[in-house]
Amino acid sequence: MENLVYIALFAPFVGSLFAALFGMSERKIFVGIIGSALIGLSFLASAILAYNLYTTGTVVQVRMMDWISAGDLNVGFGFVIDQISVTMMTVVTLVSTIVHIYAIGYMDHDKSFNRFFSYLSAFVFSMMILVMSDNFLGLFIGWEGVGVCSWLLVGFWYHKPDQKREDNPSISPSWAANEAFIMNRIADLGMLIGIFILYWNTGSLQYDVVFAQLPYLSDSVLMWAAIALFIGAMGKSAQFPLHTWLTDAMEGPTPVSALIHAATMVTAGVFLVIRANPLYSMEAVAGVSFFIASLGTFVAFYAASMALVERDLKRIIAYSTLSQLGYMFAAAGLGAYWIALFHLAAHAFFKALLFLGGGNVMHAMHDELDLFKMGGLRKKMRGTWIYMTIASIALAGLPFFAGFYSKDAIIETAFNEGTYVLWGILVLTAGMTAFYSFRQVFLSFHGEERYKALGFDPHEMYKFVLVAMSPLAILAMITGLFMNQYKAFIYKIGESVQYEMSDHTHHLAVWLILLVVFIALSGIALAYFKYARTGEHAFKPDEKTANGFFYKLLINQYYVPVFYENFITKPYMMISEMLWTKVDLKIVDATVDNIARFFYNTGDKTRRMETGNLSNYLNWMALGAVILLVVAAISAMLV
Amino acid sequence: MDNILSILVFFPAVAGLLGFVVDKESARAYGITVTMITFLLSLWLWFSFDTANAGMQFVEMIPLIPDMGISYYLGVDGISLFIILMTTLMTLVGMVSMGETKNIKNMIITLLFLEMTMLGVFVALDAIIFYLFWELSLVPMLYIIGAWGGPLRIYASIKFFLYTFTGSLIMLVGMLFVAYLYHSLTGVWSFSITDWYALVLPVDYQLWLFAAFFIGFAIKVPMFPFHTWIPYAHGQAPTIGSVILAAVLLKMGTYGFVRFSLPMFPDASVMAITPIAVLSLIMVIYTAMIAYAQKDIKQVIAYSSVSHMGIIMLGLFAMNAEGLSGSVFQMLSHGIVSGALFMLVGMIYERRQTKLMSEFGGLAAVMPKFAIIFGIMLMASVGLPLTIGFVGEFLVLLGFYQVSPMMTILAGTSIILGSVYMLRVMKFTFFGPLDKEENKKLKDLNTRETWSLIPLVAIVIWLGVYPKPVLGPIDNSVNALLVFMDEKAITKEAKDMIKVPKSVKEAK
Repeated sequence: MENLVYIALFAPFVGSLFAALFGMSERKIFVGIIGSALIGLSFLASAILAYNLYTTGTVVQVRMMDWISAGDLNVGFGFVIDQISVTMMTVVTLVSTIVHIYAIGYMDHDKSFNRFFSYLSAFVFSMMILVMSDNFLGLFIGWEGVGVCSWLLVGFWYHKPDQKREDNPSISPSWAANEAFIMNRIADLGMLIGIFILYWNTGSLQYDVVFAQLPYLSDSVLMWAAIALFIGAMGKSAQFPLHTWLTDAMEGPTPVSALIHAATMVTAGVFLVIRANPLYSMEAVAGVSFFIASLGTFVAFYAASMALVERDLKRIIAYSTLSQLGYMFAAAGLGAYWIALFHLAAHAFFKALLFLGGGNVMHAMHDELDLFKMGGLRKKMRGTWIYMTIASIALAGLPFFAGFYSKDAIIETAFNEGTYVLWGILVLTAGMTAFYSFRQVFLSFHGEERYKALGFDPHEMYKFVLVAMSPLAILAMITGLFMNQYKAFIYKIGESVQYEMSDHTHHLAVWLILLVVFIALSGIALAYFKYARTGEHAFKPDEKTANGFFYKLLINQYYVPVFYENFITKPYMMISEMLWTKVDLKIVDATVDNIARFFYNTGDKTRRMETGNLSNYLNWMALGAVILLVVAAISAMLV
Repeated sequence: MDNILSILVFFPAVAGLLGFVVDKESARAYGITVTMITFLLSLWLWFSFDTANAGMQFVEMIPLIPDMGISYYLGVDGISLFIILMTTLMTLVGMVSMGETKNIKNMIITLLFLEMTMLGVFVALDAIIFYLFWELSLVPMLYIIGAWGGPLRIYASIKFFLYTFTGSLIMLVGMLFVAYLYHSLTGVWSFSITDWYALVLPVDYQLWLFAAFFIGFAIKVPMFPFHTWIPYAHGQAPTIGSVILAAVLLKMGTYGFVRFSLPMFPDASVMAITPIAVLSLIMVIYTAMIAYAQKDIKQVIAYSSVSHMGIIMLGLFAMNAEGLSGSVFQMLSHGIVSGALFMLVGMIYERRQTKLMSEFGGLAAVMPKFAIIFGIMLMASVGLPLTIGFVGEFLVLLGFYQVSPMMTILAGTSIILGSVYMLRVMKFTFFGPLDKEENKKLKDLNTRETWSLIPLVAIVIWLGVYPKPVLGPIDNSVNALLVFMDEKAITKEAKDMIKVPKSVKEAK
C-alpha cells in the first residue's frame, strides 16, 4: 500500500519534471501524452487505494521523512489515506487526467505547450500534497504550492498587455495572476495563525494528535483556531470578501479554469473545513460554524446574481463555481460534512465538463467569449452541445443527474436544521442557477446564429478530446445514484462526519424536492423564452435593460473591484510613496544627515580658533580658565 | 588540523597579499581559486564539526596581552558554523558571477581581505579580536563602494563608514565597561566572551550595556530608524558589494545580538522584547511599503532586505527555541536569497545599464532562464514552503506567537506585503508585452552566470525540503543558549519569558 501512496503522489511530480526538461523547446506532443499517462497512473493508484479502503476499511498512514524540527516542533512529510483524502485524491486525479488529455488538443497551437504541461502537472502534485498530508503544515505546503501553480497558469499568457477595466474586467493575465496570489496570501496569514494557535495549545500539528486534544482546549482557543483556519479557507475557496480573484483568474487557459478554478483548487477551502470537522463540530465553535453556513449561503446567492447578467462565457461559469462553493460551505457549516464532500465531488465532475465544453466553444470561436456574439452553435458543435446541456442539467439539479442529489441534500439540510432563512435563499438560488446555466446554453447553442454576421466560422473540437470528456459526462449523470454507498463509506470515519435528516424532514422530503425542481424548471423555462427562440421572438440585447440600475450593479460586480482599487490598492500606493519620499527621505534620513552636518559645521567653525596667533590662543585659554573656575565654584556651592 | 579556524580566516588575506604579484589577466581565476579553497575549508569544517556538541569547537587560544586578558581566541558553534559557510559560499559565488572588468585585480584583493574580516567576526571569541575584525570589515567595503560604485559613491561610502563606525564606537565603550566590571568583580582582566558569559550583572548595568551594544548592532542590521545608509550603499555599490553587504555584513549585526546581547544580558534582553519588537514591526511593514514605491529594481531588493531583517530581529527576541533557531536559519536564507537577487539585478544592469522597472517589460520571452531563476528566488523571498525562505520565516513567526499573538499577526503581514512588492517587480520586468526595442535583443544568462546561480537555486530547494542538516546543529546550540540564559537570568520575569524546550528539560 505504501508504494501506491508514493506512486499516487509522485507520478504527477515526475510528469512535471519531465515536461520541464523540454520547457524551453517547441511543442512536443509526447510531453503531453507522457504527462497525461503519469497523471492517469496516479489516478489508478488512487483508485486502488480507494477500493482497498472501501473493502478493508484500514486507513493507511505513512511518514516519508522529517521536515522541520526546532525546539519542540517536529513536523515531517506524512500522508494519510482515509475516506476524506481518498475521495479528494480520486476526484483530483480523475479530473486532472481528463484535463491533461483535453489540453493536448486545446493547447495544440500554443508555442509554450511543454511549459504548460509542466505547470499543470506541478499543480496536480501540489494538490495531492494538500489532500494527502497528515498534518497542517503539510497541508500548507500544498496550499501554497497550488497557489503558485495557479499564479503561473493564470498568468500563462504573460505577454498580454494591461487593459482598462472597462474593456476587460480582469485587466491582464499577469494582473489577474498577481491579484489571485496576493488575495490568497492575505487568507494564508489567517491559516498560519490558525496553525500557530493549534501548535502552542496542542504541541503538535498532526491531525490525529491535534483532534484528540480538542476536548481539553478552552472555548476561546477553539473559537480563534476555527476562525483563523476558516480565513485561510475563505481565500482559497474565494468566499466574500476575498472572491474577486476567481472571476479574474479566467484569464488563464480554459483547461486551467476547469481543473484549478472549478474542480480542485478552489474546493481546498471546503476540504479544509471538512478535514478539520472535529474542530468545527465542537460546541464552542457553533457560532463560527453557523457563520460559515451563513456566509456560504450569502455567497451562493451573491455569485448567482452576478451570473444572471454576465455576457462572458467563462465568467458565468466562474460565478457558478463561486455560488456552488457557497452551497458546499453552507452544508459544512451546518455540520453535514459528508454532504459537502459529496457535492464537492459531484460538482468537480459537472463543472469541469461545463468548463471544458466552454473551452470547445472558445476554441471554435477563436477565443471569443461574448455570448451575445454566438447563438445556434449546436448545428456545428453537436457533441459539445450535448455535453454542456448534460452539465447544465446536473448543475441546475434536475432529477437523477448528479446535482439533483448533492445540491438538494444541502438545501434539505438547511431545512432540517431549522434555518429557514438560509433554506429560502438556497432554494431561490437554485432557481437562479437553473436560469443562468440555461441562459448560457441557449445563448450559445440555440436561437439565431448571431456569429454569422460577425464572420466567425466555428468548427467542432477534435474527436479524441470529445471522447476524453465522456467520463465526465457519464459521471455528471450517474454520480448521484451512488450517494448511499458513498454515505456508508464515509460514515466509517466516525461520528463527527455523520449527518442524518430528522424524521420530520424525511416526511416532507418529497415536497421539498418537488418545490426545488419546480423552481429550477421555472428558471429554465424563463431562460428558454428569453434566449432560445428564433424568428420574431429572437433575443436581442436592448439598451433599456443594459442601463438599468440593477443590471449596472450586477455587471460591475456590485462595484467591489472598483472599491478595492480605489480604497485599497491606490491608497496603498499613495501611502507607500509618501512614506518613501516624505518620511524616509525627508525625516529619517534628513535627521541623520543633519546630525552629521551639525558636527561638521561645529568642527568647521571651531577650526577658526586655530589661527596660529599666540595672543589669540592666550585669549581662549583665559576664557577657558574662567569657565572652569565658574563651574568649579557652582559645583562647590551645590555640594 | 588543529588551527583550522586560523587557516580559514587568514588564508584569504595571505592569498590577497600574494594577489598583488599575480598577473592582471589571471586575477579572476586566482580569486576564484582562493575563494574556492576557502569554501572547501569551511566545508571541511562542517564535516568535522560534532553536531551533537552544542558548545564551542575547534577552539584556539593564544594569549596576546596576558596582563589585559586579551587573547587570540577563536571557536565556532552551531550558530556561527553555518554563517561561516554562507560567507565563504557567497564570496565564491559572488566572485564567479562578478561582471566587473575595471581594476579587476584590486577588486579581487579587496574582496579577499573582506572575506578575512567577515570570517574573523564570526569565529572570534575575544571581544577585542571581534572588534578588530568588525571595524576592519568597513575598510574593504568602503573601497568597494567608493571605488567601483555609481555616481553618488563617495557620499554613499562615507555615509556607510561613518554611520556604522559611530555605532561600533559606542559598542566598544560597552565592551570596555564589561571588561572593567569583570576586573572589578574577579580581580583579573579578561576580554574573552566565554569568561564574560559567567558574569551575572545587576539589571541596571545590563540595561546600559544592552543599550551600548544595541546601537552598534542595530546600525549594522540595520534596524529602523538607523537604516537610511543602506539604500545609498546598495544603490551605489557594484553588484558584488551589494551581494556581500546584504548576504554577510548585515548578519554581523544580528549575529552580535546572539553572541553578546542575549547570553550576557538575559534580563535586559527580556525587558527589551517589546521595544525591539516594535522597531522590528516597523522594519517589516514600513520598509515593505517603501519597497513597493520604488522604481528601481535594486532599491526594491534593498528595502525588502531590511524588511526581512525585521523578521530575523523578531525571532531573536522570541526567547524560545522555535523563534531563535528560525531566526538563525533565516539569516542564512536571507543571505542566499537576497544575495542571489542582487546578483540577478546586477546581470540585467550589465546588459541594459539601467535598473528601472519602467525600462523593462516582457523579458520572460527573451530571457527565460533568467526569468525562471528570478522567479524561484522571488518565491523563496516571499517564503514559499519547500524553499529555504519558508523554514526560517515560519519558525520565527511561530516562535514569536508565544510572545505576542497581536504582534505576530502584524509581522505576518510580511508574507502579504512581500508578495505585493515582489510580484510587482516580476510583472513589470518579466511580464507584459516586450515593447522596447533595446530589450528585444537581450541575451539570456551565459554559462558563467548560470553556473554561479545554479548552486544557490539548489541550496534554496535543498534546505527548503530538507533543512535538518543545518537546522539540527543550529537548534542544538540555540537550546544550549536558552538553557544558559534561563539559568543566568536573575529576574522572575526573564525566567518566565525564556522558554527552554520541553524535550531539553526532560533530557536533563
